[in-house]
Amino acid sequence: MKRIGIFLMVAMVILSLAGISAAEPTLEKIKNSGVFTVGTRTGSPPFGYINKQNEWVGFSIDLARLVHKNIEKKLGQSVKFELKESAPATRIPLLSSGAVDLIAGTMTDTRARRESVDFSLTFFVTGAQFMVKRGSPIKGVKDIAGKRIGAQQGSTNEREIRTRYPQAVLVVFPDQPAAFTAMTQGKVDAYTNDGIQLVGLKMKAPNPDDWEVVGEPYTYEPYAMAMRKNDSDFRQVVNVALMEAIEGGEYFKLYDKWLGPKSETPYPLRHDARTFLMMEVVPK
Amino acid sequence: MFDSFMWLAGFLGIPYQFRWGILWEAPHYTWIINGLWMTLRISAISWIFAVLLGIIFGALRTVPFRPLRALATAYVEFFRNVPLLVWLFFWYFGAPEVLPEPIRQWLIHHGMEFWSAVAGISIYHGARMSEVIRAGIQSIPKTQLEAGISSGLSVSQTYRIIIIPIALRLIVPPVTNESLNLLKNSSLAMTIGVAELTFATRQIETYTAKAFEAFTAGTVIYLVLCLGIAFVMNRVERKFAIPGLIARAERAEH
Repeated sequence: MKRIGIFLMVAMVILSLAGISAAEPTLEKIKNSGVFTVGTRTGSPPFGYINKQNEWVGFSIDLARLVHKNIEKKLGQSVKFELKESAPATRIPLLSSGAVDLIAGTMTDTRARRESVDFSLTFFVTGAQFMVKRGSPIKGVKDIAGKRIGAQQGSTNEREIRTRYPQAVLVVFPDQPAAFTAMTQGKVDAYTNDGIQLVGLKMKAPNPDDWEVVGEPYTYEPYAMAMRKNDSDFRQVVNVALMEAIEGGEYFKLYDKWLGPKSETPYPLRHDARTFLMMEVVPK
Repeated sequence: MFDSFMWLAGFLGIPYQFRWGILWEAPHYTWIINGLWMTLRISAISWIFAVLLGIIFGALRTVPFRPLRALATAYVEFFRNVPLLVWLFFWYFGAPEVLPEPIRQWLIHHGMEFWSAVAGISIYHGARMSEVIRAGIQSIPKTQLEAGISSGLSVSQTYRIIIIPIALRLIVPPVTNESLNLLKNSSLAMTIGVAELTFATRQIETYTAKAFEAFTAGTVIYLVLCLGIAFVMNRVERKFAIPGLIARAERAEH
C-alpha cells in the first residue's frame, strides 16, 4: 500500500512538471503565461554574459529582445521578458521541457541538433581557432599533434578535433572558465573554441596581451536561435524579427555595439558573412 | 520497452522523439564503457585512500593523547565542511601551482586531472569516513581498551589487534552508505577534465542532441552500480556481523 502511494506521488510530480510543457504552441504558451523565457549564457561575451556592472547583457540577448518585441506585436499584449542560464549540456532539455521558449546564446546550427530542435535563421558566423600564450609554437590546426588541447564540452570544435585530429591530446572541460584557467596555468598548450569566443576571453583576461588567437578557422559555426520542433508559427515570428533587424539596419547597429572596432570584442563582419546575412532576408 | 517510452513522451506531451538506438551506435557505447571504466578506477583508488585515511584519523580521534586528537579533529572539520567541488578545483587549479616546475610538468603529462580528482575525492571522503570509524570505535565499551592494556598490550597494539578489527565489523552499514556517496561524487571529476561516466553521457548528448536517452543511460548505470555494491556489502555485513553488537533487520521486526 505504501509503495503504491509513493508511486502515485512520483507520478503526480512528473505529471505536474510535464503539464507545464504540454504540447501547446509556444505563442499560446507565452500568451497564457504572460512570460517569454529565453535561455542564454552567463559567461560568453559578447553574446550573453554578466558585465562589470553585474548586468546580464549581450548581442544574443539584444537580438532576443527584438524577437520579444515582435511577439508582443503579434499577440497584441505585453509579455514579460525573462532570461535563464542554459549551458550547452542543458539547453536542449530546457527547451524540450518548456522551461525556456527560445535559446539565444552561442548555439551552432548542426544537422544532428536539427533532429531535436528547430533553428532560426543564422544570426552570426564564426569558426574555431586556438588561443595560446604569446609566442607559442602552435600557429594553427597543423601544429597540434601530441599537444594537450583544451576544449569545451558541447562545442562542435571538440568533435572536430576528436574525429579529424586524433593525434592531439584532448582535455575536455565542461565550461569555458575552467578550460581557460587550465590554459593560463600551462596545463594545456592551447584552448580551442569558436574564434569569437576566444576574442571575448582574451579581452576578459587579466593581461590580454599575454594571449593570442591564432590559426585559420578550421570549422564553420553558424550561430542560430533554437526553438521547440514543429512550431512554425513561432519560428515565423522569430525569423521575421531577425529579417526586419537585418533589413532595417538594427542588426548592424547591434553588431557594431557588441563586435565593432570600439567594442571590447572587436570581430570584423567579413564581407561574405554580410552578404550571407542579407541574402537570408526574403521579400515581404 | 522503447515503445512504452515513446508512449510516455506522447502522453506527457513533450515534443520530443526518443531514439534509444543512439546508445549502442559506435562510438557512443565505447564512450560509455570507457567512462564507466574511468568511474570505477577513480572510485576504487579513491575508496582505498579514503578508507586508509578514515582508519588512521578515525582512530586518532579517539586516542587518549590530546594533540593527536586535535590534529585529527582539525583534518576532519576542515575537509568535510568545504564542498567537494571546491576541493577538486583546489587540487587541480591551486595545489599543483606551488610545486617545483619539473614536478609540475611531469604531473601535467602524466594524468594530473586524474590524480587531482583522486586527491580531492579521497581526502574529502577520508574525512567523512573517519567520522564513521570514530563512531564505530566509540561504540566499543572502554573496558576493551582497558582490558587490552592491562593484558600487557600497548595502546597502538590494542587498537590494531582489538579495537579496530571490531569497529570495522560494526560499521559496515554506514561505510556502505559512504562508499555509495563516493561513487556518485566521482562524477564531479568531470569538472576538471576527467572523462568519466557522467562526462560520457554528456558527450553523447553533445554529439546527438539526445539528452534524455544519454542521461537515462547514465542514471541506470549509476543505479545498477550502487545497487550492486549495496547487495555485496549486505552480504559482507551478514557474514561479519558480531552477534549481539550489530542489529539485523530481521531481528528488529520481532
